[in-house]
Amino acid sequence: MNTRPDRDGEEQLRLLGAAWEGAAQHWRDEVARQFEADHWTPLAQQSRAYLEALGRMMDALESAERETEF
Amino acid sequence: MRPVHADIDALKGFHEALVRFRYAAREAADRGEAEIEMTRASLAAKASRWQAQLEQDQAELDACRSRGGADCSAYALAVEQSRERLEHVRRWQQRVEVQAGEFGGVASVFRNLLESGVPRSESQLLASIAHLEAARRVQAGGS
Repeated sequence: MNTRPDRDGEEQLRLLGAAWEGAAQHWRDEVARQFEADHWTPLAQQSRAYLEALGRMMDALESAERETEF
Repeated sequence: MRPVHADIDALKGFHEALVRFRYAAREAADRGEAEIEMTRASLAAKASRWQAQLEQDQAELDACRSRGGADCSAYALAVEQSRERLEHVRRWQQRVEVQAGEFGGVASVFRNLLESGVPRSESQLLASIAHLEAARRVQAGGS
């Protein structure tokens, strides 16, 4: 199946988020708090920002192709 | 040593998910960049086609006018239509370039995250898992 890369990326991030929730549920020491602050939160935020930008880019490309078909 | 407050298997599962994400996200990013290049090529081909069509229509209009007295309105209309379509394609080329420029900054940050940030997170996680496993062995040995 040929799907848009931003949608595939969103699904991958969703799976990663679920895995993090599973791990964080039972990992509650200081190391866990540091990992969340220093690694997980920036990773999730930057990934979301990228996927939103990629989505806008893909929308623009689709519009460009569609609007220039004569 | 403090008691272990973690499900080590869940942490290993998260580590595996992180590695999978790094590869899948890189593949998605590569596909995104390939899509941009394909659309650039497609728009360039369309612009080239309408440029050629415009030149042909203009030549036919010029030939009609050189005959003198002939009704050349259909040729003039064709020239106008080709010109409008060429300009339309060029405007879309510009829009795509503006959007690609904005996207490029965010994409660069994300590439850096995938190339160095995520591997660092994976290493940190492996070190934490190793530490927790060692602590659990000590607890098991002492109980």
